[in-house]
Amino acid sequence: MTQDPLRTVIVDDEPLSRAVVREYLARHAGVEVVAECGNGFDAVKAVAELAPDLMFLDVQMPKLNGFEVLELLGRDVLVVFITAYDQYALRAFEVHAVDYLLKPFSAERFDEALDRARERLRARAGSDGDAPLDVAGLVATARPKTGPLERVLIRDGPQVHVVPAERIDYVEAQDDYVCFKADGRQYLKDQTMTAVEASMDPARFVRIHRSYLLNIDRIARVELYAKDSRVAILRDGTKLPVSRAGYARLSKLL
Amino acid sequence: MAPYLGAWALVGGLLAALLVGRAASTWMGAAAVSLPLAGTYAFVCLSAWHVARSLPLRTATRPRIVATALTASFVSSAGWLALARMWVQALRTRGWLAGGLPDRGGLDAVVFSLGVLLYLLSLAVSYLLITFEESRDADQRVLRGQVLAREAELRSLRAQIDPHFLFNSLHSISALTTADPAGARRMCLLLAEFLRASLALEGQGRIPLARELTLAEHFLAVERVRFGDRLRCEIQLESGGECLVPPLLLQPIVENAITHGITHVLEGGAVRIRASRTGRRLSIAVENPCDPDRPRGTGTGVGLANVRARLHALHGREASLHATEHGGVWRVAISLPVATEEG
Repeated sequence: MTQDPLRTVIVDDEPLSRAVVREYLARHAGVEVVAECGNGFDAVKAVAELAPDLMFLDVQMPKLNGFEVLELLGRDVLVVFITAYDQYALRAFEVHAVDYLLKPFSAERFDEALDRARERLRARAGSDGDAPLDVAGLVATARPKTGPLERVLIRDGPQVHVVPAERIDYVEAQDDYVCFKADGRQYLKDQTMTAVEASMDPARFVRIHRSYLLNIDRIARVELYAKDSRVAILRDGTKLPVSRAGYARLSKLL
Repeated sequence: MAPYLGAWALVGGLLAALLVGRAASTWMGAAAVSLPLAGTYAFVCLSAWHVARSLPLRTATRPRIVATALTASFVSSAGWLALARMWVQALRTRGWLAGGLPDRGGLDAVVFSLGVLLYLLSLAVSYLLITFEESRDADQRVLRGQVLAREAELRSLRAQIDPHFLFNSLHSISALTTADPAGARRMCLLLAEFLRASLALEGQGRIPLARELTLAEHFLAVERVRFGDRLRCEIQLESGGECLVPPLLLQPIVENAITHGITHVLEGGAVRIRASRTGRRLSIAVENPCDPDRPRGTGTGVGLANVRARLHALHGREASLHATEHGGVWRVAISLPVATEEG
């Protein structure tokens, strides 16, 4: 009985650390390393293009850390975290990581993690109709300890945009997506407006309307448009509707 | 209070004895004059304390202290004499103890000279007490300073070597054992060298800057194995290698340069340490590239706070530490007074 090989990606900014994983994996038949990445951007790109089954992911890396990579990728790939720090273990399991390996680790411990990943894959194959898990949401709920987001990560196919919170003008709800407007550009993200609102700094971003979350620094003025209906005019001239509840929230902040 | 008044009762007795001898008086008459006078002067002499306070030995000039002491003693003694005369006059006019009272000439000389002497004595005692109090305060300050320095030392000893550094290094060795056994051995030696050098510092009050920089070099050598080409290090000791610094003062800063700097920069860069002595000041600067967009809040600032606390405990306001970020370069600049073996 032949099995499809287990396709893996190794993500770690340290070459030696990648070498350990590669070496341990080489001892197993039916495992293929499809990519090795030295940073989070490459990892997102590799996973998007190669759709591997399993990713060995370092937590501390330049530009994007392991959790941010996972947030951008959703649940398409199983993850085994690899780090020298034990303080991320809880967060790792909150985002349903397969395992959490502490450097340095033995081949036996590594095999255990690999077995777990295979088990998870089998279980997933067995229940095809499995509803997709909202990993981004889980990452968001696992975040509060670190305070509001300082930057928003947006994945655009294999590309990743890092948008600092202070550069965002406003966020608009669009069907199943939200659209971030920043620096004259638009970034679509697969997330709910409520989740976005919860993750941003409430002292800066206010929900002025069911469909709009506004950076209050961008407001030029608010005008009465019709009875009970107002419009916010931004510095660049953009007009956004303000609901009655939204106006109450806005007045409280200003 | 009681010992003070007791001492003045003795003074009253002494005055009485002097009056009996010099001013031709009976014991009864002399005591009737001297005891109340001694009681009054006891209060007058309390003012000596304030005079001593207002003219501290350390700051006031000597002629000024002598002049003030003489003036104060003459004035109070003159006042005392006037009081004594009035008192004797009162006793006389009322006819109490008639005949047994001291004559005027004898009284003046004895009372005035004794008044001056007593006042000067009070001043001397006051100065003694103040000096004693000050030295006790100074002792306490020194003690408090030592306790603080010790605490800072302990805190920094605990924090000085990040355990994750060891875990990461061991992981590197684990990787090298199969791929590059010679490299693994080299890494073991580098790590051992760093650990031995840092353990040797235990109990050392201060070490020469040159030695501190060697330690940082060892540490960076170990980290270079882990980061490969992404980490370079440049250490420049222009002058002042002999100056003494607290051991592992730079360690938290160099560690930060890696964990909050190099780690976040894709292409890595150089950790630069530059030290130089200018006259009586020693300047040390540590620079490393950093990612301006890195997530904040990853650094707890404990390392820098520790270094600052140690510098403060040792040098107070004479030492400074400034951390700045400019154009993707993080820079920590330390300036401290020069201390050498000779003192």
